Amino acid sequence: MDLKLILEHHIVDKVWAWLALGPLRLPFSKHLLMMGITSLILLVVFPLLIRSRSTALAPFRAMLEMTVLFLRDEIVVPNLGHKGAAYTGYFSTLFFFILIMNLLGLVPYGASATGNLAVTAGLALTTFALINFSGIKEQGLIGYFAHLVPKGVPAWLYPLMFPIEVMGIFIKTFALCIRLFANMIAGHIVILVFICFIFIFGAFGTAFGFLVAPVSVGLVLFTLLLELLVAFLQAYIFVTLTAIFTGAAMHPH
Amino acid sequence: MEALIRPEFGLMFWTILCFGLLVLLLSKTAWRPLLQAVEERERAIKHDRRSAENARAEAEKIKAELEAGLAELKAGIQARMDEARLLAEKDKDLLIEEARRSAAVIVESSRREIEAQKAEAVRELRGKVAELSIMTAERILMKQLDHRANTDLASKYLAELEKERPDLKLEN
Repeated sequence: MDLKLILEHHIVDKVWAWLALGPLRLPFSKHLLMMGITSLILLVVFPLLIRSRSTALAPFRAMLEMTVLFLRDEIVVPNLGHKGAAYTGYFSTLFFFILIMNLLGLVPYGASATGNLAVTAGLALTTFALINFSGIKEQGLIGYFAHLVPKGVPAWLYPLMFPIEVMGIFIKTFALCIRLFANMIAGHIVILVFICFIFIFGAFGTAFGFLVAPVSVGLVLFTLLLELLVAFLQAYIFVTLTAIFTGAAMHPH
Repeated sequence: MEALIRPEFGLMFWTILCFGLLVLLLSKTAWRPLLQAVEERERAIKHDRRSAENARAEAEKIKAELEAGLAELKAGIQARMDEARLLAEKDKDLLIEEARRSAAVIVESSRREIEAQKAEAVRELRGKVAELSIMTAERILMKQLDHRANTDLASKYLAELEKERPDLKLEN
């Protein structure tokens, strides 16, 4: 029994086929499938749910609506200002995209696409693009870079502060990428380790394994619930931090 | 294991493409209708609230008007009642005065009547007394009349008279 193999099997993406597109080799993998399922849910279920008038679906519609309104009134508008309400669609998409990908990792046979560094890096890059796009759109190209360094900094510090602030943007997005990736992967690793405990102890003796099993399963259940919380929490954190960075880029004062 | 921390650029491309398309499509198919519905409802709620507030203000105005009317009415009633009481008092005083006066008149007339009756009675009594006394005196006189003494007296008086008035002397 090889823990490393098991971990790799469960956590690392499985590529089924490659598609060569110029210099880029595009994989068709399990995580891409999960992302596709997420996109399908978002593209089919959400519009139908929003347009449906059935009373049976009303609670789900209300949940969706409350979430979007929460994002708009508590995250987007306070950080981006009233002009930022136009970005509500972007932030809602981001939130539900991450959330559903997180949750798919808890479903049997599913995998967390957000537990893949490439996926979180892609999302962080879109955030990076959004930060710069909104900042330049709001203040103009020159104004954006002029306001990159906070006000009140002595003039002689500018040569030092400017590169730091530029690096700051990259570091912020990099941290965003790593945070989501690490949080999603950590829970899975912990669950796998708890399950492996059963077999590790089982190797000492079958009775030992049976003794450890209930404890392990209990801990796995607890970790699963924790992962459920983390799935929501990390989606929320990613969106909130994106909003804060975007707001800071739009309103430097 | 290093596959875990080696980003697969192809997948990154897929992610960005996927997410970008989702943002574009969902903003049209999902978020716009949702936010529109929410805004419509918010507008409806705001409108309802405003109309409710208006209705309340209207009701309060009407209530104030009614209260003012009621107070006015009450004041009017009070004034009229005071007036009526005053009038009644005056009437009462007048009536009492009149009654007293008429009583005085009655007393006066009855006193006068009594006096007249008394005077009448006195007059009648006096007449009767006079008649009775005259008759009694007559009776007494009749009883006391003595013919001889009277004759003597008559002669005596006659002589006196003849002396006084000689022109009337019978025998000359």
